[in-house]
Amino acid sequence: MGYGAGRIEIPGCKMTDRIPLTIIGGYLGAGKTTLLNHILRHNAGLRLAVIVNDFGDINIDAELIENQDGDTINLANGCICCSLAGGFVQALSALAEMEPPPAHILIEASGVADPHNLGQYGYMDRLQRNGVIVVADAETVQAKSMDKYVGQTVTRQLQGGDLILLNKIDLVDVDVLKDVRTWLQGLMPRARIVEADHGIVPLPILLGVFETDEPEGSVKSDHYPDDEYETWSFTSEQPLDGEAFRSMVEMLPEAIIRAKGILYLRENPKHRYIFQLVGKRWSLKAKQAWNDEQPASKLVMIGLPQCFNSTWLENKFYKMIGN
Amino acid sequence: MTSEITIFVAKKIITMNPSNPEGTHIAVRDGRILGVGSLAEVAGWGEYTLDETFKDKVLLPGFVESHGHVGEGGLWAAGPYLGYFGRNSPDGSYVEGLKSTDTVIARLKALDAEISDPNTPLIGWGLDPLFFPEGTQLYANELDQVSATRPIFILHLSGHVASVNTALMQQAGINADMDVQGLVKDASGQLTGELQSQTTMALAKDVFLRMLGGVQSETAVVNFGKLANLAGHTTVAELGTAPIHNPDGFAVWQRLVNDPEFPVRVIPYYGAGNLGAPVKPEEVIPMVRAAQSKNTDKLYVNGIKIWIDGSNQGFTARVFWPGYYNGIENGLWYIPPEQFREVLKGYHKAGLNCHIHCNGSEATELLLDSVDAALREYAWLDHRHTAQHNQLVTPAQLRKMRNLGMCANFFTNHVYYYGDQHYDTVLGPERANQVNPCGAALREGVSFSLHSDPPVTSIGHLHTIWCAVNRVTASGRVLGEHEKIGVYEALKAATIDAAYQIHMDHKIGSLEIGKFADFAVLDESPLDVDPMAIKDIPVWGTVLGGLKFPAAK
Repeated sequence: MGYGAGRIEIPGCKMTDRIPLTIIGGYLGAGKTTLLNHILRHNAGLRLAVIVNDFGDINIDAELIENQDGDTINLANGCICCSLAGGFVQALSALAEMEPPPAHILIEASGVADPHNLGQYGYMDRLQRNGVIVVADAETVQAKSMDKYVGQTVTRQLQGGDLILLNKIDLVDVDVLKDVRTWLQGLMPRARIVEADHGIVPLPILLGVFETDEPEGSVKSDHYPDDEYETWSFTSEQPLDGEAFRSMVEMLPEAIIRAKGILYLRENPKHRYIFQLVGKRWSLKAKQAWNDEQPASKLVMIGLPQCFNSTWLENKFYKMIGN
Repeated sequence: MTSEITIFVAKKIITMNPSNPEGTHIAVRDGRILGVGSLAEVAGWGEYTLDETFKDKVLLPGFVESHGHVGEGGLWAAGPYLGYFGRNSPDGSYVEGLKSTDTVIARLKALDAEISDPNTPLIGWGLDPLFFPEGTQLYANELDQVSATRPIFILHLSGHVASVNTALMQQAGINADMDVQGLVKDASGQLTGELQSQTTMALAKDVFLRMLGGVQSETAVVNFGKLANLAGHTTVAELGTAPIHNPDGFAVWQRLVNDPEFPVRVIPYYGAGNLGAPVKPEEVIPMVRAAQSKNTDKLYVNGIKIWIDGSNQGFTARVFWPGYYNGIENGLWYIPPEQFREVLKGYHKAGLNCHIHCNGSEATELLLDSVDAALREYAWLDHRHTAQHNQLVTPAQLRKMRNLGMCANFFTNHVYYYGDQHYDTVLGPERANQVNPCGAALREGVSFSLHSDPPVTSIGHLHTIWCAVNRVTASGRVLGEHEKIGVYEALKAATIDAAYQIHMDHKIGSLEIGKFADFAVLDESPLDVDPMAIKDIPVWGTVLGGLKFPAAK
């Protein structure tokens, strides 16, 4: 499979022209801005557009800035950073109409915003909801969730996230970290938690899989281990059993953070299905007809190190073909 | 060198200056007041022209709306009003309220017939199904009777919900497959055409942006002035929606408002966080200072507006225990409390008067704590920071506000428009009776004003005064006998005390020597009519800086 540096793509299957939208939420001080600053510096060659909550907090080195036009900063690496001035509908419409369009749009939510609600902007024309990531400060999140003023706000934010980024783990010891994780799991069954130090998280975990029109060779299944994350992919021209696929998804370990795929299902062989998983949230929906194209399933999953049991996965997929 | 002197004669002049409470003649030179009294008392300044236009009218200080938004004019620029209660339109005509869905549909059909281009969307506003009988909805299938081809978008009065027709949903690609909270579906999973929340309205992007274009147009500012004039207002504090952070956009305001034909003084407050505008004092203060360097008597940038919470009737205000009467636990913060404390301190330190939106009692509490903390670090006895809306403030909080030197601005129109909902669903009887407690503020010694918060309710102090005095709800219930205040106290709140909380009481708010010659011109004195008739006193118009501005008819 063709990798850009630090990005994962599904070749030969541009599923949509819509621009993926990711929300970065979390309470004041959780580390959202640090995370975004990191993403803007390590963009893996992707043209990322970020709508920041506080323009003054974005701390970009002067040599990275190509030009600044009012509320928009264009970076030398192709990324765009803009303020929310004018409101979400105006800011998102302007980004979606850029030429060339951004590969991905991120919104930094305000410290009290409900990030799940902002995720709904992903259904706007020309956009596609990619995921809602909630950043939590490992040291303070539990106390904040019980604060008399903001406890409910913090809890609601966490519950609305597809993925929890447990940040600042360098500030807590192992026992505290374990305690916070247990508490989060209690708050949100099947929560997907990624740990981070200074908001540093591999881009594929944050943004997922990119689609390209690039052709590729025929591969059945691949497993790419890495220090920071692993991927597992699968390709087949045989139709799959949809029910078996859905039940496999429910059984996936929680360390599998993201997946995206185009599927060829026996229950509706004339139409392609789009599968998407971000943390605890996943969807499988019928889309356009295959028409003249050779139907084929192509799937990529991304997870934390050592999360894939290739034998188990391959067995599941062979059964989906075999039935 | 002296300019010309005009002496206006009136049936009665009520000055709101207790030292010189009434007169029949008022002398004006250079747009300012030379004196109020009998003709003999004001004639000594020199040769004058006697103007008898108001000889059968009553003059009061021009009303001061200390919480308005340009959106009042903007919505009229975006489309027709379709609300339940009647409302003044900028051209001076009165638009009757639409009391049933049938009348809404009939009005929409008439509007549809007036638009020749079949693709032009029909945009309306002000709808509030809350006032229709329970269970009544205005869904897409009803709107489709108006047009199956033209997109229809009706913004509800709250601003957070819209009703749309099938043609709009088809054009915008809104479908029942979308997993969007607030995209209301019926029991069979079909779209109803109700878009709840801003994120859902964003799905109707093209029409939404078209509406926003109207709301932010030059006509919006012009309408805003006309509507204020119609109701006898000569000053409006624009709390947080004027584009102070956008010099080009604000230059338009400077041009329009400074035009001698523009009928009202505008006191803009910078809206921290409004539509993504910067919040932090270090970023905001230079922008505010730059705008202030161009201040005039007509357009005077004066301070900062910050929002802490949402609304009571929307269940988004932050309230004390035991929460809402219908069981909802609590509302939403619009700014993190820690951040609020910090930014308030920054503005306070810079000497900027802060007007803070706090509908619920817990939001008021955060404001009081924050002002207390700011004062411990930076002494400023005359800050006059104001709790805006402040509808659920408790007596204990009022005592603290008095001690801290704070002001209140009550949304008394809520008693009439939402009082019944507050009693039955939102707050329950005890808190509903104490909502917008003008009586308690008087008892505890807190200086307060009243407001209409246009466009939430139509601008007009005769109505806010009527509410403060009578406390009658839409269904006729008296909501809180012990929170009623007298007419004089209510007039004071609408004039000199409103001016006080925006630091303008040395220039406006009463008819005194040296102040701007700004009058409200009424047919009758609110002090002399039946209190229940106050809201219906005809308004001739205003005088602003000595110039007559008759209301449009």
